Amino acid sequence: MGETPRPGRKVMQMSDDVMAEIHRDYLFNLVLKGERDDGRAFDEFRDISIETGVAGMAEGSALVTLGDTQILVGVKIQPGEPFPDTPDVGVIITNTELIPMASPEYEAGPPREGAIEIARVVDRGIRESKAIDLEKLCMVKGEKVWIIFIDIHVLNNGGNIIDAASIGSIAALLSTTLPAERYGLGEDSPLPVRDIPVAVTAIEFGGELLLDPSLEEGKLAGTVYTVITNSDGSISGMQKSGAEPLTIDQAMRVVDMAGTAAAKIREKFLEV
Amino acid sequence: MERNIVIPGDVVSDNVKMSGSGTYVHGDEVRASVYGLLNIGERYISVIPLAGKYIPHASDRVIGIITEVVYSNWIVDINSPYEGLLHISQYPRRIDSENMSRYLKVGDSILTMVASVDAGMKVELTLREQELRVLSNGRIVTINPTKMPRVIGRSGSMIRLLKSEIGCNMFVGQNGRIWINGCDDCVDLAIQTIRYIEDNAHRPGLTERVQAFLKAKEKTRYGKVHESRNDEE
Amino acid sequence: MSEKPEHFIVDGKRLDGRSVDELRPIKIKLSPLDRADGSCYLEWGRNKIMAAVYGPRELHPRHRQNLTKAVVQYRYNMAAFSVDDRIRPGHSRRSIEISKVGRDAFEYVVFTKFFPKTAVDIFIEVLQADAGTRTAGINAASLALADAGIPMRGLVSACAVGKVDGEIVLDLMKEEDNFGEADVPIAMTAGGKITHLQMDGNLTRDEFYEALKLAKIGCDKVYKLQRQALIERYSKEYAENGGDATTRPEGDADE
Repeated sequence: MGETPRPGRKVMQMSDDVMAEIHRDYLFNLVLKGERDDGRAFDEFRDISIETGVAGMAEGSALVTLGDTQILVGVKIQPGEPFPDTPDVGVIITNTELIPMASPEYEAGPPREGAIEIARVVDRGIRESKAIDLEKLCMVKGEKVWIIFIDIHVLNNGGNIIDAASIGSIAALLSTTLPAERYGLGEDSPLPVRDIPVAVTAIEFGGELLLDPSLEEGKLAGTVYTVITNSDGSISGMQKSGAEPLTIDQAMRVVDMAGTAAAKIREKFLEV
Repeated sequence: MERNIVIPGDVVSDNVKMSGSGTYVHGDEVRASVYGLLNIGERYISVIPLAGKYIPHASDRVIGIITEVVYSNWIVDINSPYEGLLHISQYPRRIDSENMSRYLKVGDSILTMVASVDAGMKVELTLREQELRVLSNGRIVTINPTKMPRVIGRSGSMIRLLKSEIGCNMFVGQNGRIWINGCDDCVDLAIQTIRYIEDNAHRPGLTERVQAFLKAKEKTRYGKVHESRNDEE
Repeated sequence: MSEKPEHFIVDGKRLDGRSVDELRPIKIKLSPLDRADGSCYLEWGRNKIMAAVYGPRELHPRHRQNLTKAVVQYRYNMAAFSVDDRIRPGHSRRSIEISKVGRDAFEYVVFTKFFPKTAVDIFIEVLQADAGTRTAGINAASLALADAGIPMRGLVSACAVGKVDGEIVLDLMKEEDNFGEADVPIAMTAGGKITHLQMDGNLTRDEFYEALKLAKIGCDKVYKLQRQALIERYSKEYAENGGDATTRPEGDADE
């Protein structure tokens, strides 16, 4: 398997959009044989590494690599006003920047739909899993709460940004300190994190479901389906995108694969 | 009659060889791809859409309006998502590229024909065919192009009826534009009749309906003449 | 925002009297807009949605054209006055995301290959919002596309399923949406292929499977109403135009 040539790599370096038909056919035929270009099993993730505390000015941060993908997540926290309709809980604001450094495809400017979608799906997982005890972040009801800014900075797009961003966000939150002293609001304390939601993304290609799509595989995908699961195996968020449909059976298979893969990632990298 | 209106996805046949326009093959079934009237022919089953845009095909006769003059081409609006190109060499006679606007300027109307359409939907037009020309008089009405087959009728029967009953000259472009020339009253009546056909395109017995419509109009016309005479007295 | 009710389901009935697998009432009006190539007005419970389709039409700027197919564009927008507290007009992050997945929901069904270089534009305006606007928008868009004569594999039908009081229920109303345990908006083709799926809240695997099955039932119900609206539109016209609704068209149009 390790001997497999990779004729597509140079092409992909030039432009993320262009892929020769013959290369597409090559990848398709590999899948039919039960193989992937980089030798992984269909339900196998690329190598993951997580380094926390890399951004010293942030209250929490994590540099995540997932295969070729590199993402830096920074968490800043400051006191502020709660939303009027939720006066007694803290606030989470998640943002994704697909900066031009990360891919020849990205341009400077305000976030476009792709970046917004990533941020909103990651945000959904953290919010809906109730991973952060937002009630503990209320200082004065209706007046003063802690506001948590999660900023996802994509440094290199090697595919499957969404899972790397999800892993990076929860890793950064786990390393975050509430900066109470700086604002004269008591002693610093760790951010109250009580669950570890992990996003796992699958694509459908050649009739098969592949986890953690590489950049190339992502380009081939008709369907991209993300499932976010919690420590107890329950589901907190989902997002299907892409032009091709999904059957109920496929949706359930991804849910099962995602639960297993997330548990492995959590065990290896994210246990508190 | 309800079984005759179909919606996208409806199964219309289990013989895939019968798949005609407005249908597609899914597995071993023919399904409707557009919302419209089911038309069961001898060899094909098709669905006549009730709405939609004109998509040009080679040898379609269409009515165009010049929108731009560039290089050696006139750019022509043909009531379609795709614009037409009329190259200087397709003008009926040799002209100098410096003087293109003298012969055809922005806003001019032409009876033209689609010479070719390539895979990239580049639509080339020509004026070098019989009947094709620049229009300098008459009026143009636009109807939904999907209703055009009804205005034309079976092998041109409806259009012949209109021409003979109303007594005016007409050119029916496949792109939904119809050019009409004749006396003012004739043109007005022709336009009313075309609108009537458009509104009733999905209904049965259209030819009889149009005949009845024209007969009724004839009476009111005659009646008006009569009234005005009375006024004079 | 109102207070969270103590119970969502009492004696098998929900707050508005529905059973767990019952949709709110849906009303459909086709072609309400004259300028658009196709349009649909849809009421679903207290949601009021207008959908318009333009196209296929020339796509500008040119560099966005696709040489092999039409580009589907979807814009979901909430009117500033559609909710209790006025919302700032224009795009929000929420509306951009809903627009993106809304487009994805239709890419599979529209035969885009027939119209290279063009755009098929779908516009959704939420005039009054009461939970489930994205699924209501998809249903209205599906009908507006048919009304515009756009070739499609079939209609897309959408509904939300969710969880309240530990039970899986169909078509969340506002209180259930705000205070419920999960919300799963789904769109499917008549054949049960999922073209839109999002989820937030908390569900076990088995609950999610139950939700998918209930969503299929809901989408089937919506499909029947959509189909009926399209079929009845012309039979009604028949009746109005002389009452010969029983006559069959002779199909004498020249092809």
